[in-house]
Amino acid sequence: MAGKAIDIIKREGKRPSEQFQRDKLHASIRAACLSVRSPEGVAESTATQVCDAVIIWLDTKPEVTSADVRRKATESLESFHPEAAYLYKHHRFVI
Amino acid sequence: MAKKVSFDYDLVVIGSGAGGSAAATLAARAGKKVAIIEADTFGGDSPNWSDVPTKALLHAAQLYDEARHGARFGLRSSTLGYNYPSLRAWKELAVKRTGAGGNRQYYEKEGITTFVGVAHFLTPHEISVNRRHLTGAHFLIATGSHWVAPNIQGLKDVSYLTPRTLLEAMRPPKSLYIIGAGTIGVEIAQLMAIFGTKVYLAEIASRLLPNEDEEVGVLLERVLKEQKGVTSLTQTRTLAVVKDGIGKRVTYNRGGVEKSIKVDEVLIATGRTPVVDLGLENAAVAYTPKGIAVNNHLQTSARHIFAAGDVLGRNSHTHTALLESQVAAHNLIHPKSKINPDYTATSHLTFTHPGIASVGLSEDDCLKRDLPINKAVAPLNIIARSNTSDFRDGFVKIITDKKGVILGATIVAPHASEMIHELALAVKFGLTASDVAGTPHAFLSWSEAVRVAAARLAN
Repeated sequence: MAGKAIDIIKREGKRPSEQFQRDKLHASIRAACLSVRSPEGVAESTATQVCDAVIIWLDTKPEVTSADVRRKATESLESFHPEAAYLYKHHRFVI
Repeated sequence: MAKKVSFDYDLVVIGSGAGGSAAATLAARAGKKVAIIEADTFGGDSPNWSDVPTKALLHAAQLYDEARHGARFGLRSSTLGYNYPSLRAWKELAVKRTGAGGNRQYYEKEGITTFVGVAHFLTPHEISVNRRHLTGAHFLIATGSHWVAPNIQGLKDVSYLTPRTLLEAMRPPKSLYIIGAGTIGVEIAQLMAIFGTKVYLAEIASRLLPNEDEEVGVLLERVLKEQKGVTSLTQTRTLAVVKDGIGKRVTYNRGGVEKSIKVDEVLIATGRTPVVDLGLENAAVAYTPKGIAVNNHLQTSARHIFAAGDVLGRNSHTHTALLESQVAAHNLIHPKSKINPDYTATSHLTFTHPGIASVGLSEDDCLKRDLPINKAVAPLNIIARSNTSDFRDGFVKIITDKKGVILGATIVAPHASEMIHELALAVKFGLTASDVAGTPHAFLSWSEAVRVAAARLAN
């Protein structure tokens, strides 16, 4: 978890807001990496680094949208694993 | 009939600096319901951290420097000294006196609701500030810019100064390596050199002030070197910075030769980057890390959202941001008669001694555009004032088209920032060199040099 509570506004407020959960983001990044056949250890460490980058970005923001978190996570993931980043960014449309 | 959507505010201004404050005030006076959001100090960068404090210190420094060199006028100045904490107190007083710095009450008196916090767009018409949601019919983004460190090896691991943090220093460093010799870089180089700091001024371009004409950079380099002992390192790429004892060791490459020097502090003055991390994607505002894209009316890709000032990513001054703020306010108050900002007579100033001021097109601009021009330069030493003030380093340069219409001008002189407005007026209203030369200029004013330069182009 981040050091302070950060509210995530879901789908432009159409779903109830919830607090930012590092574990949830970690799991989604890890799943994206595993989906493009990354070794489990790589997926794990990539997810950790992406989560760290997102939490640093969230430091000054008490409230952001889920789209912001997705975008920031994608930006960070792109430098580690472009293929996974593509899948993470577009999985809603791909599936 | 469609139901009219109501918003909390007619205008939400993000940023209370020069780009935001004028628009907020004008809109409030026009009867609009306005909110203003500030993440740092009310008034923005200019009165609190850049223009006002720097110029207050430069004024004191130039007084000190002139007095130190007063022996040639018969003044005894051997016991002259300075007290840096008192200079800092003077700087604080100057900031306080402007009235803009930290003055939240000013906006509240104007009927503007104020919020302190970081703004973040949630939707095109909704913004979040400290978890409070505000809706607005229009927005003005005037978040400004911040100093950014270049990608130099080891820089992130050492503490370095920016023009903002330097002003908070308890005393001038013994030696200072400045990266970037633009306007701010040379102002700080001169300021610190006057207070006894050994200054190294590194610039990747072939001259200081690369955005001004060549003779300006050459003259200033000579003045800084001969009178202030500044070491100018033009065509220099800074390669690495590492901690060395209580100081820093800087490695740079100049003319293919790698050298290193030890200095007390390193100052970054390479440029500023716009503050665009405010959820602009949620509002469908197109932007790049270099700034927000706007049309001629200062509207972003989301037409109800305007942007003004440094956040546009242009090489902006406070007076340019104010102009844009006024234009944005006009365009949202009078949507049927929109206007464009007119940058033709916007002057660029550098508050060194001698001062540097330019307006309109530079000679380089004309060359790039393949414009046929005439130019004339009047050195300061040909006018009487240079004799009575015993000051000769400077010139007035005027550029005209082939019909004699003034396209641009550069002044390097004491009080250049005051002198330039005559030529700004000429550029704005298409006056000819004959018009300026035919206007009486008072004997023993520095402005006589303007008349002389114009007279050389008048025939």
